[in-house]
Amino acid sequence: MYKTITTAATLAALLTTAAIADELRAPEDVLQGLIDDNESAYLTQSEQNIMMMPDNAALWTAEEGKDLFFEERGPNNKSLETCDLGKGPGVVDGVYVELPRFFEDTGRVMDLESRLAYCMTSIQGFSPEDPEVKRRHGSDSDMMKLQTYIANRSSGLPWNPPMDHPLEQAMRDAGEVLFYRRAGTSDFSCATCHTNTGKRIRASVLPNINEPHEWTKAISWPAYRVGHQQVRSSNHRIRGCYWQMRQPQSIPGSDAAIALMSFWTDAARGEPAILPDKKR
Amino acid sequence: MTHPATHRSPVHGTPVHRSPVHRSPVRSALAAAALLGLSAAAMAAPPAPEAAYTAMSAEELADYLVFEAGGFDLDAKTQDGGTARERMTQDRTQKVCSAIARSGTDLDRATAAKISALADDTIEFPEDGVALGDWQRGEEIARSGFGYRIGHRVDNHDERTPGGNCYACHQLDPNEIAYGTVGPSLTGYGRLRGTSEAMLKHTYQILYNPNLFFPCTTMPRFGHHGTLTQQQIADVMAYLLDPESPVNQEPPQTADAESADTD
Ligand code: HEC
Ligand code: HEC
Repeated sequence: MYKTITTAATLAALLTTAAIADELRAPEDVLQGLIDDNESAYLTQSEQNIMMMPDNAALWTAEEGKDLFFEERGPNNKSLETCDLGKGPGVVDGVYVELPRFFEDTGRVMDLESRLAYCMTSIQGFSPEDPEVKRRHGSDSDMMKLQTYIANRSSGLPWNPPMDHPLEQAMRDAGEVLFYRRAGTSDFSCATCHTNTGKRIRASVLPNINEPHEWTKAISWPAYRVGHQQVRSSNHRIRGCYWQMRQPQSIPGSDAAIALMSFWTDAARGEPAILPDKKR
Repeated sequence: MTHPATHRSPVHGTPVHRSPVHRSPVRSALAAAALLGLSAAAMAAPPAPEAAYTAMSAEELADYLVFEAGGFDLDAKTQDGGTARERMTQDRTQKVCSAIARSGTDLDRATAAKISALADDTIEFPEDGVALGDWQRGEEIARSGFGYRIGHRVDNHDERTPGGNCYACHQLDPNEIAYGTVGPSLTGYGRLRGTSEAMLKHTYQILYNPNLFFPCTTMPRFGHHGTLTQQQIADVMAYLLDPESPVNQEPPQTADAESADTD
């Protein structure tokens, strides 16, 4: 299982990983810190959820994800320990706040979900049609378990998606266009509802993308959605918002969805991630 | 930035000026996937985006991702008898207003005048003139967010009539606490403004196409898109303007405005 290849690179990766582990913080502490430092009706809107953060059911999902990550499975009977999520094979700590990013091996900018699908198919030998890869929604899906585990290992770290590769910049910029792109029978864009501070749609206080301390909570997925009684992903949120906008269904893993995530992650740059979060 | 004069082909959104040499690998791979019956979602690793991505402007790339790179389920049928692809295709008002919002600058006067004129040119009035309908039916329309949602849990218009979702953005009845604040409060709208013929026309125009008075507003163009029928507009107008409507009643002294804010 664990191979000791002592190249300088893996050693460096191991050392950084240890340093990162010390910086991880419990999601409830991250949220409390944001609330203490900022005046925000959005951050404080659900007292109930803030109180219940330490009992977040998503933490169980993360535990299950950890087991799955190390389990040898699939036709190739391999674990995901050789999966490169951006910081080298097997590195999980701190990877999520630096996604989406460009991957040399695929030549694409990928988000966590598409990268996991890539590792499950290329390393473990699953087919894209196998339920392990295909099922994207629900706390009991492998995808949600794995995502929640990996994301949890970035809790408290500042969002820091790389912008060094020209494709990363191009995707972020296209994502910005998508965010402001009005279309459909209601003339909505994401900006219609997410560029004001403290405004509400019905009774929900909306997060403002121009306020990084609000936006970090907005994009802190996976999150346990109390209304759904399920852990949900970024892709699920994007699908929901396009549905609200009366626009077509967004396809997870598509470059459009990834571009949108590149932009929204960049917009929260520097603010600590709350992972997993709990939302209404 | 998009200029109002550069109106583009309404079907595929935008002319993307790229060399076909760069473009074909993505296209043919996607076409092959389609032949194999795979959706973009099912492919674990879609074809790598060619260098063309970085050669495109951000606007071109965004439209490419929407229309040609499998970003959305564009072939789904919509309630209005079209396809999801048409929903994603921007008209001139949407295009110009998107670019302005993204630039973060204020709308300049010339562009505002063009957007307003475009609205003015396309507003159609009822043949028998503008009149108030039934405020009770109008209330249902104002409260209902049903209609036009596609993709999953598709709204079936045969089972229920679509609404206007005014409460998503506006306060109306002073006793309703679950109201949005994206738009201004419309509580007391008729009480404050009366029901003159000019006021009726003004309100009709706002509901048909609010860009006439508020260029690039976030309020939807209900009449323009046909998401509210003329009868429904008349009913919502009654909810706003009829002296009998709850919108125009004084709030009871016990109503606690604070409770709305802490919800
Ligand atoms: C019509 C208004 C509206 C539009 C347009 C809209 N959203 Fe949302 N969005 C909401 C509401 C309301 C919520 C709160 C969710 C809830 O309480 O159920 C939300 C939640 C979110 C969240 C999570 C925040 C949270 O606390 O749950 C993100 C991220 C988000 N939206 C992104 C987007 C993106 C990206 C788009 C465009 C693709 C978009 N939204 C378009 C209304 C909108
Ligand atoms: C997505 C949010 C949104 C929705 C939904 C919406 N509006 Fe609006 N509305 C606004 C905004 C924002 C304004 C302010 C105009 C501006 O400055 O852009 C406005 C303005 C108005 C005005 C003019 C107010 C004035 O001061 O003259 C009226 C009347 C109005 N809306 C009625 C309605 C009705 C009736 C509905 C439902 C059929 C509705 N709106 C749905 C956002 C919305």
